[in-house]
Amino acid sequence: MSAKRLGHPHLGLGVGLRTVHFDYILEKHPKVDWFEVISENFMDSRGRPRYVLEQIAERYPVVMHGVSLSIGSTDTLNFEYLRKLKALANDIKPLWISDHVCWTGVAGRNTHDLLPMPLTEKSLKHVVERIRAVQDFLERPFVFENPSTYVGFTGSTLSEWEFIARMAAEANCGLLLDVNNVYVSSVNHDFDPEEFIRSVPHERVVQFHLAGHANRQTHLIDTHDSHVVDPVWKLYRLAHELTGGVSTLLEWDAKIPPFPVLHAEVLKAKQHIGEELADGKMAIMSVEPETDAMALPEVDSAVPHPLHHIAAEVV
Amino acid sequence: MSAPDNSPDAAEVNRVQRWFQAVVTHPDGVEAGADSDEAQRLIHLPPGQLERVITRSRALSAAERLAIYANAYHTRLLECLGEVYPMLKRTLGEEAFDGFAFGYLQEYPSRSYTLNELGRHFPRYLEETRPTADSAESQSSPTDSANNELALVEDWPDFLIDLVRLEWAIYDVFDGVGVEGQALLRADQLSGIPPERWPQVQLEPVPCLQLLATRFPVNDYYTALRKANDDEAIAVPSACESFVALTRRQFIVRRYNLSRTEFELLQAIKNGQSLGQAVEHAASVTDDDMDKLAANLKLWFRNWTAEGFFQSVRLLE
Repeated sequence: MSAKRLGHPHLGLGVGLRTVHFDYILEKHPKVDWFEVISENFMDSRGRPRYVLEQIAERYPVVMHGVSLSIGSTDTLNFEYLRKLKALANDIKPLWISDHVCWTGVAGRNTHDLLPMPLTEKSLKHVVERIRAVQDFLERPFVFENPSTYVGFTGSTLSEWEFIARMAAEANCGLLLDVNNVYVSSVNHDFDPEEFIRSVPHERVVQFHLAGHANRQTHLIDTHDSHVVDPVWKLYRLAHELTGGVSTLLEWDAKIPPFPVLHAEVLKAKQHIGEELADGKMAIMSVEPETDAMALPEVDSAVPHPLHHIAAEVV
Repeated sequence: MSAPDNSPDAAEVNRVQRWFQAVVTHPDGVEAGADSDEAQRLIHLPPGQLERVITRSRALSAAERLAIYANAYHTRLLECLGEVYPMLKRTLGEEAFDGFAFGYLQEYPSRSYTLNELGRHFPRYLEETRPTADSAESQSSPTDSANNELALVEDWPDFLIDLVRLEWAIYDVFDGVGVEGQALLRADQLSGIPPERWPQVQLEPVPCLQLLATRFPVNDYYTALRKANDDEAIAVPSACESFVALTRRQFIVRRYNLSRTEFELLQAIKNGQSLGQAVEHAASVTDDDMDKLAANLKLWFRNWTAEGFFQSVRLLE
């Protein structure tokens, strides 16, 4: 049995660090509990992004979150990438490092997308072996997030939550439970999101993610471009109760609002977990599907995250 | 790092992954991807039989579900290339830019863990393909005035290539090695050197100093586009050999137009030549009068020092 949250602290309510907020954060030093940073945006940077990160890491707790580990790929592990990841971690001292249960490419290519794993015994064994290798190399437990997915494989024999639960136990890693992703995938794959939340090993959950998504009527896309919808908040309440509460982070990656709006969004979590604290118990409501009234307008350009790229500043 | 993981468990996963990648990255869509030789070799499927591999959902077929990944793949990477080459995108118009970028992704798909590398080979791709004005027109709407204007310029592939070289250099300097927080060469360190020792001066340029020679004045064009409104078309300049220096101060990329002589001088210094050798080189390749060149040196070096082009100086014995 692992220590709760792998022994990591409960950092409170944080937000993802994005370039457009660099100046605001450096000037105003907003009272944010913690920041999550995209590892790939900083591991090669010798310019302003890295400088800003160093300033922020001196003042706030920081966690590193990657999009290119590609733990499920059948290419060999990229040790050049892992060396850079380790070097960045040595420099900025994140509380933990995370990435996704996915693959991003094969045969040397990178699609820069979080592609779905076939959920099979062989696939599970493959991922577990690689997680062990990564953890050995980094000399620390890693934390893995459930991605939003849009297809399932006919050959899959495990549910996603079974896969994740067994992966975490067998590889002895932590979990980043992305509540929005659970909801997005539940709509896309017609499963019960509560069953997912109830079935993951709660003591291994180190962190939650919250985000907005785009409703395309026939499916949802994990766009990270809007507010968190009510069904996701309801799932968050359930996840909070089952885990006893863990570090919570809001991601916003497209149509990014001013920093105070972003921060206010994650602070809404207090209302949800505050209600629980007020009456000592929380009635767990079944999660209703998003209604039309709650649905966001369709956007033709809806692209699943991640698009993590920093534009140059030039005069 | 493309060698596959050889464990037996990985073999079956590998086959599915290679098939999936071939399908969702195919330029003609998922059905064409599934019918492609590569995909068929990995998983043989008769046409319309995607649901043997990919489940359908209550609302979407297997092909529709795969198309979400296919659309995302191209949209995401075109968007990223547009951020690396914003002025090329404005110049060509979105449709034509996306057409070129789409072709580029087929030839140079990403092989790096970072999106920062995605646009690295775009100048080379344009050199190799030398897209014609017709090819841009075929990919843009008839109302795209900036593009129509481009079509009138002779050697316009050279203009495009020069522009992307400048944009890549800007991008490279922005996040590459810099000298923020470090001591740079001061003017008094140079002025304290007796004139007779100047030929033995060796200057160390800052690592972020990049020099570019172009066939079109793309640096001025870039400046004009930055000042213009988003929907304002800027006339494409006539060909004119031009030179630019790029460096970075306080994490912001700075651009400076240079004369040919200044460019040759700085290039020689970057190559490790002493000031005496660099001046000789500049004079020989430009046919500049030595005396005139020598008369300009003081002003040039004062300006370049003020702009932080050099890190240190030493006198060769």
